[in-house]
Amino acid sequence: MSLASRRAAAAAGGPAAPKPNSILQTLQAAEMIDSKPVLPAEILSAILDYLPVADQVRVARASRRMREMVYDDTRWVARLRSMGCWDEAGARRRFEEVMMRRRAASGAGKGTAAGTGAGAGGTAAGGVNRQSLLFDVGVEEEKRRKALEKQEQQQQQQQQQQVAEVTDGFETMKVAGTAHTAQQDPSTDPEALLQVIKNARSVRGLARQEYGKIYGALAPFYFDLVRAKTHTDPLVFKVFRDPERQAQMLANLRTFARSDWAQGAQKREEKVATMTSIFESAVLREFEQGYEFWDVDGRMNKYAHVLALLNGSSAAIELFIQKHPVFTDREVLANSMDCVNQALADSITLEPSRRFFEVLTRKVNEQAGIIERIFPNPGQVFWAFVDKVREDVVMEYATPLFDETHERSIPSYLRAVSGIFEQTLQFLRTLTPPKGAEAQQEATARELALKAFEPHLDLYLQDEIDEFTRQAEHEVGEWEKKLSEQEASAESFYMAGFTNRQADKKDFLTSFKKVVMMPVTVLPTTLTTFSLPGLPLGSPFATKPSAAASTNGSNTMQSLSQLPSRSQSPAPPVQPAVDRSSSPMPGKAPTDELAAKAALMTSRLEGIKSLFSIEVALSLVHSAKASLGRVAVFIQLGGQAGGEAREQCEAIFVALLRILSGKHVKPGFDRAVAHLSQYNPREVSEHDQGGVAPLVTFIELVNVGDLISQMIDVFYEQQLAGPKIADRNDFLDPAGLAKKKFEQMLDESVAAGLNKGIDVLMDEVEYICATTQLPTDYNPGAATSPDPTSSTLSFEKRASTIPGTVTDMDIGPTRTAQRIRDLVASHTSMLVGSTDKSMLDVFNGEVGLRLFAAVCKHLKRQRVSTEGAIKLIADMNLYFEYVRTLKNQDLLAYFKALRELSQIYLIDARHAKEMATIIADGDRFGGIFRAEEVYEYAERRADWYQVRKDVERAMYGLECCLM
Amino acid sequence: MSADKSVQKVTLTSNEGSTIEVDRVVAERSMLIKNLIDDLGDDAIANSPIPIPNVNDPVLRKVVEWCEHHRNDAAQSADDENDSRKKTTDIDEWDQKFMQVDQEMLFEIILAANYLDIKALLDVGCKTVANMIKGKSPEEIRKTFNITNDFTAEEEEQIRRENEWAEDR
Repeated sequence: MSLASRRAAAAAGGPAAPKPNSILQTLQAAEMIDSKPVLPAEILSAILDYLPVADQVRVARASRRMREMVYDDTRWVARLRSMGCWDEAGARRRFEEVMMRRRAASGAGKGTAAGTGAGAGGTAAGGVNRQSLLFDVGVEEEKRRKALEKQEQQQQQQQQQQVAEVTDGFETMKVAGTAHTAQQDPSTDPEALLQVIKNARSVRGLARQEYGKIYGALAPFYFDLVRAKTHTDPLVFKVFRDPERQAQMLANLRTFARSDWAQGAQKREEKVATMTSIFESAVLREFEQGYEFWDVDGRMNKYAHVLALLNGSSAAIELFIQKHPVFTDREVLANSMDCVNQALADSITLEPSRRFFEVLTRKVNEQAGIIERIFPNPGQVFWAFVDKVREDVVMEYATPLFDETHERSIPSYLRAVSGIFEQTLQFLRTLTPPKGAEAQQEATARELALKAFEPHLDLYLQDEIDEFTRQAEHEVGEWEKKLSEQEASAESFYMAGFTNRQADKKDFLTSFKKVVMMPVTVLPTTLTTFSLPGLPLGSPFATKPSAAASTNGSNTMQSLSQLPSRSQSPAPPVQPAVDRSSSPMPGKAPTDELAAKAALMTSRLEGIKSLFSIEVALSLVHSAKASLGRVAVFIQLGGQAGGEAREQCEAIFVALLRILSGKHVKPGFDRAVAHLSQYNPREVSEHDQGGVAPLVTFIELVNVGDLISQMIDVFYEQQLAGPKIADRNDFLDPAGLAKKKFEQMLDESVAAGLNKGIDVLMDEVEYICATTQLPTDYNPGAATSPDPTSSTLSFEKRASTIPGTVTDMDIGPTRTAQRIRDLVASHTSMLVGSTDKSMLDVFNGEVGLRLFAAVCKHLKRQRVSTEGAIKLIADMNLYFEYVRTLKNQDLLAYFKALRELSQIYLIDARHAKEMATIIADGDRFGGIFRAEEVYEYAERRADWYQVRKDVERAMYGLECCLM
Repeated sequence: MSADKSVQKVTLTSNEGSTIEVDRVVAERSMLIKNLIDDLGDDAIANSPIPIPNVNDPVLRKVVEWCEHHRNDAAQSADDENDSRKKTTDIDEWDQKFMQVDQEMLFEIILAANYLDIKALLDVGCKTVANMIKGKSPEEIRKTFNITNDFTAEEEEQIRRENEWAEDR
């Protein structure tokens, strides 16, 4: 009600106040109204909030309105809630249950009525449903009836009361009665007192009664405690004798104090807290004495439980942990410097730390049992204890080690951090916590490990990637330096046996996979460097030794410096295998196998040594793998730190690709392409090797590039995508992007090189055509001509005079054609399996077309006699057979046409008419040659001038005219 | 801006028409006035007085006195209300002295605080009233709040009995 209306009502209705017993009274009331302002309801309510409970109840007695205000349920719910014993969900459930029961009751009434009337009106299912529902309610009701009997009655009465607005105090009386009995003899039923807060129920509409029970039980103790002068005075310590109950009661009182917010409550609460702490320290003293005597099952156990009842025994836990002997145990506290001192210079061995953690695990597990015997909540205590161990023992152990190694050498620092971290995590995971605490072990282990390593993590991750980048760049730089030293000497290329290239590559990749899948050796024992004896090689030039350094993940730099220096002469004296390693160590099979294969590959690919090296790539991948392996253990941490570690892993991969592609592969390709474009067949003296040197080199390069790409792919799958470091499906993933970019770069380089390569190849083809094709090849009759250049003139006569006197009866293809075929075939076959299929198809198609054009051009320069035609046809067949191996139908058509075309030279001069028919027969050439073109080729016949007339006549129908 | 505010003056008019000039920050202890200024803008306030028609002159002066004293208090946050612990904060000395007025004045101040929406002052008022009626009998309480007893003697007795648990011992 608003102030104004109340005032108006008061002013107007002053004299008409209810129940005017006497005039005087009325007058008195009116006077009071006039003189005093009346506070509105919400302010009265606010005032009530500040009143102690006792006064609130007195206010309730003032009038109906005041009672309503005081009895308001929310007021009491708030108090219950402040003690943490109001369960809103439970209250709602109860409320809804009651509502449902009432509805069900009325529904059932109707249902039975309807059921008797309409029989099986509803569907069977519906009936069953409903019945079961009713049944459930019935059971529920039955179950709860006993427990809630009284409450239910009250509830119903309350509702009745609400409905009928009848004020009868029956149910509240009852509550008051129970509370009364409880408070009358607390000493006879102390258990009920102890449990009173726990037993409080959350029932809407009954919050006041529930609070009343608690208040009735605890308030006497509470106010008594507050009034107490000394710690011996309070009733609590008189009524309850044993410390468990005293503790329980004190805990209850502390809770109860939270529901007291009248004036002075803070002081009261402080008083309770003081009393509690006096009690606590007394109990703690007992506990400590027990601790000194190591009275685990006796005093320690007892007082730990007392403290747990009081306030969760945090003080006891702290004491237990603080004073625990393990932190001063000589056996446990090892010197972490052993890890450095026992290892070789600039290295580190993690054997001492492993022993350290072993001892620690044993000790801590022992304590787990003891903790279980002492504390009622062993899980919590145990993990607090482990946390302390982590802080005081593990970190004390690790930090100096890290600092020291960081100063001495970064690689061993990296290994130390990663290794110790793994051991720590292992240690935390292998602990055997007391019962009930196992569930949180994994999470806690991670959390503790993170806490232990958080201070080092950032530095470590940064160092890891820096170190990797530095190492990789150094490696590439070293290689390049080596290369430039050799640059001065002439380069010679040679071809390796590329017969089973694909098999080799597969072989190599298999070994690589094996190595990649091997668990990362975080604790590499010694530096292993060894060289391989010379390998039997397929190439005639491959007599040089292949000294290969093992790329043993940890010491790539050293291995790099041992790369065999390439001897320049094609056949150098056989050198013994260079063995610089101090301790050749056999027995690391997969790695060594890989190294051997790498060496084999390298020796095979000697030709491209000056461009880029698969060994360098391999060693880069190896160091990346080592770094990744070290960082990857941190991913287990999860959360932010794990995420950072994961990012770092990807960064390492990206750095690997960046260095590999930007600094190694790309320049190699560029150089190879440059070589290609400079190639001029006429300047090269040697043409017998069966290949165009730069193109061979380039194709070798493509092969190696492909190999590296596959290697990277395997690496990505195994190291990044496999353990879920990088997401294969996330197209924005930096590692995936870098990989794509790398592959793209490779493809582009290959495409650019192949483009040049085709030009070069065709130059070579034309060169061979021009230099090796003898005029007599296709025109045996002209062989005797003294001057080949003028042979065309004299040829006609000779051909006509001595037909069929050809001595060369060899009907096989000419040498030129064979060479061209070999040349082209060798180059195309080299590419098989090195680039992707589509690119290969394009390349082959282009090569075929260009070959066709070259052959056509060449043909137009020749004179072909009928006898020579046999050779020509053989040549064309040779080309045709070759092209068929390319499996390109479009291309095949060209060569088919070419083959058909070559037959026109075979036709005897006497059959000029038929020749004309063939020339004009477009279908015969599959539309590749038009009649005019065929005619042009026909002009190349040695006896053209003799047959020309006939042919033309036949072709253009002149025959008819003349006849 | 805030420096501006502290020197800026606001004129308030009580229901009798007398005016009081106060610093703007002081006036803004009242959420009502603060919102009003925010809504109308600075200019409107600078030129014309703000009428406070529900509050008479002595009460308004008293309220302003309180606001002057508490001008530097932290602005109350909205969720203060939910924090029951806050309520236990006892009345500080100055406020206790400030509230030593007759009951009529006290109620008027509470009403004014309520109207002007000065939560802290309202709280202090309520606490004072609560202290006033602490330990009083129902009859005395009725008198204080000007409540007419509409219970029969039996009814009153019954309420007493059903809340017996709460009685002081």
